[in-house]
Amino acid sequence: MSASSSTPPSPPPAIEARELTKVFPLQWSKGYMVAVDKVSFTVNAGEVYGLIGPNGSGKSTTMKLVLGLMAPSLGTTKVFGLSTSDVRARSEIGFLPENPYFYKHLTGAETLRFYGKLCGLRGRSLQERIGELLELVDLEHARDRRLAGYSKGMLQRIGLAQALVQRPRLVVLDEPTAGVDPIGSREIRDLILRLKQEGISVFLCSHLLEQVQEVCDRVGIIFQGKLRREGPLDELTAIENQTEILLQEASPALISKIQALVQAEGADLLSIGRPRTTLERLFLDEVERGLADARSAGAHSAEPSPPPRP
Amino acid sequence: MSAPNHAPMPDRPVPPIFSPGRIWTLAAATFTQLVRMRTFYFLLFFAVLVFGMSNVNLLYTAEQQLSTIRGTSFGAMWLFAWLFAVTATAVVIPRDIEDRTLYTILSKPVPRVEYLLGKFFGVLLVITVALGAMLLLSGVVLEFRKAGLIAETRIYLEQSPDITPADIQGQLDAISNEGFHPRLFTAAWIILLQAAVMAAATILVSTFASSSLFTIIVGIAFFLIGHGHRIAVDYWSEGGATNNWLAWAAKVVPDFHIFNVHEKIVAGSTAAPFVMAEITAYAGVYCVVYLLLGWYMFSDKEF
Repeated sequence: MSASSSTPPSPPPAIEARELTKVFPLQWSKGYMVAVDKVSFTVNAGEVYGLIGPNGSGKSTTMKLVLGLMAPSLGTTKVFGLSTSDVRARSEIGFLPENPYFYKHLTGAETLRFYGKLCGLRGRSLQERIGELLELVDLEHARDRRLAGYSKGMLQRIGLAQALVQRPRLVVLDEPTAGVDPIGSREIRDLILRLKQEGISVFLCSHLLEQVQEVCDRVGIIFQGKLRREGPLDELTAIENQTEILLQEASPALISKIQALVQAEGADLLSIGRPRTTLERLFLDEVERGLADARSAGAHSAEPSPPPRP
Repeated sequence: MSAPNHAPMPDRPVPPIFSPGRIWTLAAATFTQLVRMRTFYFLLFFAVLVFGMSNVNLLYTAEQQLSTIRGTSFGAMWLFAWLFAVTATAVVIPRDIEDRTLYTILSKPVPRVEYLLGKFFGVLLVITVALGAMLLLSGVVLEFRKAGLIAETRIYLEQSPDITPADIQGQLDAISNEGFHPRLFTAAWIILLQAAVMAAATILVSTFASSSLFTIIVGIAFFLIGHGHRIAVDYWSEGGATNNWLAWAAKVVPDFHIFNVHEKIVAGSTAAPFVMAEITAYAGVYCVVYLLLGWYMFSDKEF
């Protein structure tokens, strides 16, 4: 057997967009608007890719082109080697739109059953899948409640569950944490990371840069329809001519020595300070502490309470 | 959230290009959607109307009373069927677009033609169930009223010494013939066919219309044109042969007079099987053509 025949073929990329262009004719005039201009990018299998950009930059149009909801004016998009116009490609995609709206007259379980059946799931396997997904997104308690009575965060979670119903290889998320509280937002981010661990590719559109930075392997920055920068997150965010040193338990004397050394070498010391936690981390810590206190108070409710402080 | 269990499906079966199962799923969802919009409240109105008519006695003969109940019931069924076909079909697709539910449906392996067919059959399913319920209700009322009228007439006639038993039986048979008859199923079928043509035409309009209101207006206009169809063709063809353009224009909208056969059936006539087959084929051809045109318009539509 030759060496070339023993090498397993590399899997096709989750998304392969080449020279993707979308032009919209303007109403009441003869002009055109280029919403997406020769955008090329690749999302490798198992990778989390973030497309970031301000409102109106072409993120949603790019996403619709990837999903096959729009046809490109020029260029091609493939999902796992299949054209996005091919029905087979869409069985590999799970999509969560921004602020998802589903049939409000359906319950949570009925919604998942509906989307599962559209993907060809039936019978016991579908029932089991519905149970798994409701557990996954913590909506078992609301499985028989109509979506008209769901909060925004609950709708987002049921949307995520329907996106995963057919066990897709690619999940496309449009602003997945829009309208979700910090705890729910953290859970969705954890879920994205777990999807990655399971080898599922994620294509994420967001303008929450901190969130993108936390979960994405690669990032594309789109502005006015053009992909301005694209590449691995670490490479894009690294400042080439700066170095960061993080010390723990450093004495003032040691810091003085470092300052002197830096000065002696002719380099510039830009800042010395304490690293700050994020507001989100602070919020989550406080909530967790509050929950722990409540549990502790519940456990000791039989004990006499201490006298109030003066 | 708990640990996920959704690794990509190994050896995923290739989804079929065309799946009646997916169409049924969409049709069932449309049916549920329309039912939960309290569509069947119309049946309450219908029940009140039919029961009301069964108790109205405006110096009619027994036969006339039964005929009036039948005519009123089928008139209400006809009105409900075509009006519902237009208004419900005009709402279901634009609502999916406005709510962006369409995004999540079309991002699944659902060809657009299946989506349109699912909506079409969902609306038809509601109309079929409603017509079935109305037919059952009118049948029950007719038979109940018929039994009462026969009993009353028998007592009245038996008190008259001049009327022979054969005359009494003849009169009672005449009343009995005005009750529920299996031929009424064919009348209901024709009403359903007309509603199907209206639903297919409205689907076509809603694939390019900008609003539900516009679709409803065009749908109702289409219905009126369909009823004025024969008059218009007669007028145009006066004094000579109709030119080709008019002949083709006349074919775009079906001649709804063809479906008026249901009125004659309700009045007591029986439609021959070949007439029923002809009307069914006529409606079927228009439904297929309108749905194919709708698919053509919808296949490239961008959302």
